[in-house]
Amino acid sequence: MSAFWRTSIGSFLLALLLAGCASVSPEEQAHRNRALTQFQSGATALRNGNYSAAKADLDAALLVIGGSSAGDASARESRSYFNEESVKTFRGEPYERVMAYYYRGILYWMDGQPDNARAAFRSAAVQDQNPELGINQADWVLLDYLDGLASAKLGGDGSDAYRRSVAEARLNKPPPYDVQANVLVFLEMGQGPTKYAAGEYGEQLRFRPGSASDPIAVVRVGSVEAKVGPYDDLTYQATTRGGRVMDHVLQGKAVFKKTTDALGTGAIIAGAGVAIAGDSNATRNVGLGLVAAGVISKIVSAATTPAADTRQWSNLPNLLSFVALKLPPGQHHMTVDFQGPNGETRVTRQVHFEVIPGRDTVLFVSDRNT
Amino acid sequence: MKQIASSTALALAVVVFGAGCASGVKNPSGVPVTVMKPDEQGFVAGTGIESQDLVSVTDKMARSLLSTPEINSFPGGVPRIVILPVENSTRFPINKDLFTARIQAMLNSKAQGRMRFLARDRMTALEQERQLKQEGKVTSNSDPNIQEFKGADFFLTGKLMSLTTQAKAGVSDYVLYTFQLIDPRTSDIVWEDSAEVKKQSIEDAAYR
Repeated sequence: MSAFWRTSIGSFLLALLLAGCASVSPEEQAHRNRALTQFQSGATALRNGNYSAAKADLDAALLVIGGSSAGDASARESRSYFNEESVKTFRGEPYERVMAYYYRGILYWMDGQPDNARAAFRSAAVQDQNPELGINQADWVLLDYLDGLASAKLGGDGSDAYRRSVAEARLNKPPPYDVQANVLVFLEMGQGPTKYAAGEYGEQLRFRPGSASDPIAVVRVGSVEAKVGPYDDLTYQATTRGGRVMDHVLQGKAVFKKTTDALGTGAIIAGAGVAIAGDSNATRNVGLGLVAAGVISKIVSAATTPAADTRQWSNLPNLLSFVALKLPPGQHHMTVDFQGPNGETRVTRQVHFEVIPGRDTVLFVSDRNT
Repeated sequence: MKQIASSTALALAVVVFGAGCASGVKNPSGVPVTVMKPDEQGFVAGTGIESQDLVSVTDKMARSLLSTPEINSFPGGVPRIVILPVENSTRFPINKDLFTARIQAMLNSKAQGRMRFLARDRMTALEQERQLKQEGKVTSNSDPNIQEFKGADFFLTGKLMSLTTQAKAGVSDYVLYTFQLIDPRTSDIVWEDSAEVKKQSIEDAAYR
């Protein structure tokens, strides 16, 4: 067997191996995607009023994103040249992790545990920080506002958190706290941002803006009416964090892929030229060796996968809002009109609820069904 | 012969390499049940409040409370204590009853009658039972119309607070656990102790 053929067979086997090693079994990948599945089913359950299912899903997902990722073998695999980023255990981008804690905080408050709700909002804020990118302070209005409101209701001082929330407000300034307000209405509107991969090899994670055609919520309970706009915008949160550390890893993979591809092309062309023009077996063998080396380089390039991870929590809203009402104990009926910028009602939701003395009544109203 | 040997070596290397990465499934045969002590750190760990913290903190609080003069030399005999829920002021949502339940269990098992806890969290059922006795629907060994529900000599409660630091080096969480024994007659804090735990970790670059 000539050196050329041996190298060719070796190259073929190498290609098979690189392709095989890069794959993760469907069962294992499903396991790594479990937090994503739980995020989405938890949000759907919350919107459908199935709060026990929402808690179970979100608690399971928060166990994944709350634990340390240090030593995670799937994360190590995702950094290698021959695995896509999406083989890592899904933990979501910061805005997705924030939303998981935010939803869980609402559910804690529903259960009469404002201190655990506050804990969830604080953990959400930590997800938004990244000193490596110069982000030392979260900039979600509602996280700070609700942190301060919970503190004020528990007899503490929420003024610092309130001041932070006002300083972060871009869309609407939140009102001062009324600790006597006993009905807390969490509102959300629209479809959140979507991820896509850009760049020559899809190595750049990008976001298409989300949208909400009904950014205003008019809340009516008897003679009480409140018109509220959004406080937080998920598109803004997704797109204003700058790069990720992982982006540098993916950029390195892309450079490696491009370089090995170019080297392979060059070696094949040069080797073919030498082999054709060669006037001796030795020269022709050198040429064929160059071709074989070029083929190997091309195979390595083809097996390199710099694509960014675009798995995403697909049923997030685009806008978040909140209003606190003061209502007497007893049964009540609430109407929420989600309106467009010109006041036209796009979606109406009806909610029956009971105000129980001595505790907050927490309502979650979305313009989405799933 | 040399060519055959090199080809064989190549094929062998391919087989070994291929066998090593063929499955793609982590722990395909599963992992047997691992019994762990609740006060040791498991292999599933974060910087939050975990069982080993709960155990060490409640152990320390129970020991400290048992040596308190206000308990050991209570002038009215055996002091009655009501446990109030702890306040969670950390960034970690927790089941707060775990702390008070374990402290109560530790004290009840170690105190040997030097203190008694009042079951205020069961008042509804207790009042129903008393009413049944007062109405003669069930038997009673004493006069059910005499008020025998005890008042609290002390309230035992606590607060959990945390400080989170996030830097390029990772995230660090410091949690301070404070517990207090309060005299409800005077509002005096007759005993207080604390425990603190600090943890830090750095996330994998794939998530940063």
